[in-house]
Amino acid sequence: MAVTGSTIRSASDRRERRFALLLFAPAFIALVVSTTAPLVYLVWTSLMRIDLAMPFLSGFAGAENYAKMGADPRFWNSLWLTLLYTASTVVLQVALGLSLALLVLRIPRGQAALRIAAILPIVLAPVVVGLFWRTLVLSPDVGLVDVVTRALGFGSHNWLGDPQLALISVIAIHTWQWTPFAFLVLLASLSSLPPDVYEAARIDRADAWQRFRHITLPLIRPAIVIVVIMRTMIALSAFAAIFAATGGGPGTATEILNLYAYRTSFSELNLGYGASLAVVLLVITLGVSLLMFRVRTRR
Amino acid sequence: MSGRRFRTVLLVALAALLLAVWAFPVLWALLTSFKTERDVLAYPPTLFFEPTLSNYRDVMFGSASLLPNLLSSTILAGVSTLFTLLFAVPAAYALARLDLPAKRASGFYVLATQMLPPVGLIIPYYLVLQRVGGLDTYGGLIAIYLTFSLPFAIWLMVSYFEDIPREMEEAALLDRAGRLRALWYVILPQVRGGIAVTTIFVFLNAWNEFLFAVVLGGNRVRPVTVAMFNYISVEQTLWAKLAAGAMLAMAPVIVLGLLAQRHIVKGLTVGAVKGGGR
Repeated sequence: MAVTGSTIRSASDRRERRFALLLFAPAFIALVVSTTAPLVYLVWTSLMRIDLAMPFLSGFAGAENYAKMGADPRFWNSLWLTLLYTASTVVLQVALGLSLALLVLRIPRGQAALRIAAILPIVLAPVVVGLFWRTLVLSPDVGLVDVVTRALGFGSHNWLGDPQLALISVIAIHTWQWTPFAFLVLLASLSSLPPDVYEAARIDRADAWQRFRHITLPLIRPAIVIVVIMRTMIALSAFAAIFAATGGGPGTATEILNLYAYRTSFSELNLGYGASLAVVLLVITLGVSLLMFRVRTRR
Repeated sequence: MSGRRFRTVLLVALAALLLAVWAFPVLWALLTSFKTERDVLAYPPTLFFEPTLSNYRDVMFGSASLLPNLLSSTILAGVSTLFTLLFAVPAAYALARLDLPAKRASGFYVLATQMLPPVGLIIPYYLVLQRVGGLDTYGGLIAIYLTFSLPFAIWLMVSYFEDIPREMEEAALLDRAGRLRALWYVILPQVRGGIAVTTIFVFLNAWNEFLFAVVLGGNRVRPVTVAMFNYISVEQTLWAKLAAGAMLAMAPVIVLGLLAQRHIVKGLTVGAVKGGGR
């Protein structure tokens, strides 16, 4: 009885495994063909000299493209801007999103309206957001921001034409579009906290800051970590909003690594060098994601 | 007591300000889309003006009509969503509920493919599509849209499959209904809501895609995102028309986003919630 039972089970186990493979295989093959194979091809391309402007020079180049990066100030500039852009947008989103969530939690009514307003920026295409800001919001004289700064007596500024202001502007655009993400996730996490913990703390005479520091913060830490991980990944692949707002300019003032790889490949048509820049980007993304998952699983 | 009331008023005022900061650019664009180009450039900006529908008439039926681009976006997003779900739903079920060999590694692989920055993949896509004549074709772009929609859809569906009570499928299997029939008649109806939410998010992401479309598309395949971008490079100053076009282009995603608003947190954090812990 026991013997037949186990043989029946193992036969049905085998059938289940076969069925599982059958269901998973199409997606797996599609992913290998559409992501992993292109990745290998990208690495290969990065070892080639492919300049569509000078096709007669094409050929195997070995590590030439990578060696070129060391002495390329535009590359180091883009790397620095990527770091600056990613770090500042992520910190701003989490700080603003958390403050807002804590604030909104204490509002008796109108939470629903706020949640709907928060969804608006998230669902818009980043390229359209970039265009909105470039025209209606940041344009000198008639843009919303310029109208406000003029009314307040700070004068009119060329928000996207001045190198430093342009960098601040693209950081502000990203922060505007994605703070609602941090806000919504953290609000959901805060709303699900058990109220009795606070009761106990209040009896213990903990003040508001102590309650936040020692009760709220540890409880929502997993949510904060999730937000930081996801936003870092998205910031590292940011493209369309900057492309639409400044195109990486003025000059190279907002040219993060994504923009530089794109411009090199499709404006200057140097696909070989562009591919090696893209490989650097992939290595950075991979490194950061491994680091973050390690932080997350350690606890 | 009055101090408390004052604080509530302050909080509500702050919240209203936030609401304004997020909603304002969109509402401002909506307002602008009904202005004449002369009213757009007025200083100080006017809230009261003679509204006109001429911008919408122009972007729909004028010489640079957006209608072909809307059609292009609909085909791209619609067909790629269909294929994504055909691949993702069975794969997600296998990951969530079946004894899939190397399950942990498979799940991680799917997650890892989601992390790839699109700029990193665009060069190989360009070179391959160029070689096979796939540039500026729907087939080429739809195949490439799978790269970002498939991992996302798989992980979102896994979370819905995991919510189904196990007794349900065991009962179906005891019934000697084949596994495929059990999946189709018993399991899938349980995740109808999840499939609807996944469809909305996948469609929304595909509709908003820009980088792949601008590099790999062309005159034949030009979704609204690319059309909007091209428009501003040609017509630097016609903002009312730009605003009308943007409203038209973004209306579908705004409606879909509002429809799925209760699920948006789940949609935004999918993958990260599960991926790291496994």
